[in-house]
Amino acid sequence: MAFVQNFPFLTIILALFSGPLCSVLKSKAAKWVNTIVLTLILLMSCAVLVFTLQTGEAYVYQMGHFSAPWGNEIRVGVLEAFMAVFFCIVMLLCMLGGRRELAEEVEETKQNLYYVMVGLLLSSLLALIYTNDLFTAYVFVEINTISACGLIMIRQSGRAIEAATRYMIMSLLGSGLLLMGICYLYDLTGHLLMSNIKEQVAVLAATGEYHIPLLISITLMVVGLAIKSALFPFHSWVPDAYGYSTLSSAAILSSLVSKGYIFLVVKIFYRVIGFDVIRESKVINVLFVFGVLGMIFGSVNAIRENNIRRMIAWSSVAQIGYIYMGFGLGTTAGIIASLFHILSHSATKSMLFVSASGLTDVSNHDTDFFGLTGAGYRNKIAGVAFSAGSLSMVGIPLFSGFISKVLFASAAYETSGKLIPAMIALALSTLLNAIYFMKTVIRIYTPSHRAGIVTDTRVITIKEQPQKALILVLFVALNIGLGLGSQPIVNMLTQGLEMFG
Amino acid sequence: MGIWILIPVFLPVIVGVLYLMPFKKDEFGDGDKESLDRLHRLTAVVMVVSAALALLAAWSGENSYTWFELMEGIPIYFQIDGISRLFVTVFSIAWVLVCFYSFTYMGHEGNERRFFGFYLIVYGVLVALCFAGNLVTLYLFYELMTLTSMPMVLHSGSRESIMAALKYLFYSMCGAYLGLFAIFFLYKYCDSITFTAGGTLNLALAQGHTGILLAAVMAALIGFGAKAGMFPLHAWLPTAHPVAPAPASAVLSGIIAKAGVLSIIRVMFYIVGADFIRGTWVQTAWMTLSLLTVFMGSMLAFREKVFKKRLAYSTVSQVSYILFGLSVLSPTGMEGALLHVVFHAFIKCALFLTAGIFIFQAGYSRVDQLEGIGKKMPKTLWCFTFASLALVGIPPASGFISKWYLAQGALEAEIGVFRWVGPAILLLSALLTAGYLLSIVTNGFFPKVKDAVHGAVVAKASSASDVVQESAAAVAVGAGHGMDMTKAADAVQESASDGADAHHASGGEITEAPLGMLIPLAIFAALSILLGVFPNPLIQFVSGIAATVL
Amino acid sequence: MNLSNLLNNYEEAVAMLLFVIGFSNLLLQPNLIKKIIGMNIMDTAVYLFLALKGYIDGHKAPIVVDGVQSTDAYINPIPSGLVLTGIVVSVSVSALMLSLTIRLYRRYHTLNLDEISTQLKKEDL
Repeated sequence: MAFVQNFPFLTIILALFSGPLCSVLKSKAAKWVNTIVLTLILLMSCAVLVFTLQTGEAYVYQMGHFSAPWGNEIRVGVLEAFMAVFFCIVMLLCMLGGRRELAEEVEETKQNLYYVMVGLLLSSLLALIYTNDLFTAYVFVEINTISACGLIMIRQSGRAIEAATRYMIMSLLGSGLLLMGICYLYDLTGHLLMSNIKEQVAVLAATGEYHIPLLISITLMVVGLAIKSALFPFHSWVPDAYGYSTLSSAAILSSLVSKGYIFLVVKIFYRVIGFDVIRESKVINVLFVFGVLGMIFGSVNAIRENNIRRMIAWSSVAQIGYIYMGFGLGTTAGIIASLFHILSHSATKSMLFVSASGLTDVSNHDTDFFGLTGAGYRNKIAGVAFSAGSLSMVGIPLFSGFISKVLFASAAYETSGKLIPAMIALALSTLLNAIYFMKTVIRIYTPSHRAGIVTDTRVITIKEQPQKALILVLFVALNIGLGLGSQPIVNMLTQGLEMFG
Repeated sequence: MGIWILIPVFLPVIVGVLYLMPFKKDEFGDGDKESLDRLHRLTAVVMVVSAALALLAAWSGENSYTWFELMEGIPIYFQIDGISRLFVTVFSIAWVLVCFYSFTYMGHEGNERRFFGFYLIVYGVLVALCFAGNLVTLYLFYELMTLTSMPMVLHSGSRESIMAALKYLFYSMCGAYLGLFAIFFLYKYCDSITFTAGGTLNLALAQGHTGILLAAVMAALIGFGAKAGMFPLHAWLPTAHPVAPAPASAVLSGIIAKAGVLSIIRVMFYIVGADFIRGTWVQTAWMTLSLLTVFMGSMLAFREKVFKKRLAYSTVSQVSYILFGLSVLSPTGMEGALLHVVFHAFIKCALFLTAGIFIFQAGYSRVDQLEGIGKKMPKTLWCFTFASLALVGIPPASGFISKWYLAQGALEAEIGVFRWVGPAILLLSALLTAGYLLSIVTNGFFPKVKDAVHGAVVAKASSASDVVQESAAAVAVGAGHGMDMTKAADAVQESASDGADAHHASGGEITEAPLGMLIPLAIFAALSILLGVFPNPLIQFVSGIAATVL
Repeated sequence: MNLSNLLNNYEEAVAMLLFVIGFSNLLLQPNLIKKIIGMNIMDTAVYLFLALKGYIDGHKAPIVVDGVQSTDAYINPIPSGLVLTGIVVSVSVSALMLSLTIRLYRRYHTLNLDEISTQLKKEDL
């Protein structure tokens, strides 16, 4: 066994232990420990990715000394490794981009606790990506929820705590359903390891035995995870949670936390139940309908919103809708489109949050729409990054958003009945996206003295905040990289998905 | 053959982006006279060099280049054919001339560095649009064109210009997404998305899916027709074009509207193929919509009192002449359409530049203020007269040739009742065109009031108070009706621009325009006449194109 | 047939009933404490269900006594393990929820989430 094969396990452990370590350190030290750990994990995940690409097949890593049906396992393939790398990159960028806001908005003594939460969150994300055991997945889903809640409430305002409470309640409903679904499935199959469950499910599906309990179990798990990842109509907590938490939290929550659950949905589809069984069950149609509704509803609400942070949050609701619509298409191409959209949305949404905070910084910290008039001139790099993010969301070619739209559209062709609704939903939601994002871009590039609005006169130059400027440039580069170099990534996703089954 | 055909794309874009960069703010373009001169010199050099390179690239033989693969099977691909040559030549000539005009004109609009930055970027994007060799490349640069030309509409930064820009953006995006929707369908049913004369639609594959494919083609038509101001997505054009500074209105109306035509030509004749739509409901709808737009545009222009808005409505009508010529799907009609692309581009630039001169020199933006202007600015008004005559279609000016071909094309095509209705509407619209353009000429040269100076001043003063009243009333109406925002915004914009212009022209004698503005105008006017006098090389060229696709 | 099925598996039916009770409490109760109680009921229902699945009539708890190694003597240990893990999770989540509740109560002097929302809206204005 190659040494690299230990890395997935080591990354989880490293992230997990960086948490307790940060809790005893001073804020400043904790900050550095966190950055170093993140970078280290990124490098290790890259090594794993290279390794899996070279061997071309997935491997199973046994935890402890119990073998297959009883022991706990980690399973690593191209898709898992790639997701880990990508999540690490986005997380690192989000953390670095939100550092200053964290220092301003959170008490000095509590900052190290923030890094505890980040460490736990990363470890749970990695575990969700790698684990081969359904119950382990549940445990880490809960850890993920708890640490995400911590990220929201670290900013001690009433709004943030209320948002955290609402988030917790919705999440607990979701995890309750998920746990119930897992127990049901365990009852039906007698296994907890994903590969073993899949074998048994195949037998059950072939004989047609326990058809309804199986269906109920699938529904419970999928609906539970859908609630947790804020699929319409379970999105009520999103605008508050993203709108009133500190910058890094909002960026991480929108781009990573919900994506971790969505990735687990993909795992359940492919590794636990088997995609054919999923396709035959009607669950995906439900996902399709709610995905489409979410796409429209989220965008409409974003148009009506006057607070830029909340607007971006509503847009997240719409984008989650896209992803579930892709699942709902019920084809492998649809899943690949959704996976690509996970990447594209993570990169874009976190960039939007970071750049929006750059814009509000030069507008008296006013998140209101009119206060942002001309902010693009006062903080140039944030303006450019926000515009780039908007163009990506709107689906202008060269940016990542366009590629995901193309993938969704071409996936829709392979379905029989869903082509027309999918296309109409795509067109409509893109148009709505264009309205609110372009409205904002025009607003931030309207000279305030001409529009007759008194705004902040503070100007932030690149020299003043070189780190944030660098982060934004990296975000833009990541986005354009996804937009231009999409083919190798799509190939990798396809390869990874094949290894999955 | 080589990446060098992309140099005329990259050069202006890079320089334009550098203009927009925040460094060296005071030394370059935003400071004193000297810095402005530096900006103008650099812009002129870059503009001329890029235009020369673009023409060189276009006319130096068949050429194609794959830049990179956006996705598997979707390359960003450029190729040069007859259509590219025709459009890139027209675009480049007009762009360079308007650029020189802007050096003088933009002095009173301010923010020149930003204006010229975007001006150069849009040129690069337009060249790429002309050279685009497949549907996705076309779509890419079409979107980029919308986005980069929007700041021109936004230039003044006033509330009404923002409303106009949003309207522009909204309609264009609506259109582009309809186009994208069609591209998705066509991608499945075409052998390739590379532009091929005669179309690449796989008729065997399309068998049994004709209904949905025709719907997709219709979507593309309406979508790309938005840029060309075709009904039903035309409403942005009369709002957005007049709000922009005059040179920007000129290129928006004269050139960018043609980009919509270019896209329609590409989709209809180079992807779908004329045979597929001949005799279907799509052709009928296309002809009906374009004729409707021709008539409606002329009527609205006839009623419009604000000069630039009248010209914008005229664009709505005239670009649909082109679309009608394409819709009859006969070689002669297509020749007429392509000729009208060329002629209308030059004529409309000349007309808008005249409007700009009136605003710049006298502050007049309404038609009734122009009474007796011919005494003050005879050269300008003569140029305007020539261009107007050309647009109306009086022989031997250029518009006559294109309209002749358009009518011939309609008569010889197998299109049933449209054979007669089409030319009749074209003729009617030509009469209306004469009405709304030549009335300005006659009033300008032969004012009703004897004392021209006094008359002009009175007209100006009264119209200023009129405008205030009118806008107040419109705002009240808008408030009353709750959502009738556009109307109110239009009125406010009129009064605002009038107010600004009146301020500009307050005091001082109204004199002839400076040479920097007059020369480009004169060249446009001369082109619009001369191309009618010596049309043969051009006709040969366009008939060559028409022969390959039909 | 169906009814007898239900009666034969009445333990599972009870577990499901409890789950639904807990779930609806967590979802619908405006009072935060009641929500937390609901959550605990929901989790307990799941543990009951799991314990039932592992239970084999007449077998003992899976702790080796008197050196008896035969699997026939003990119940299935895995569900018990899962229940233990689940309890740990639910304890920590309850603790977190309670701490959030305390914070909210200190600030707004009410446990009703809807009232808190209205107060927050007033704060904004």
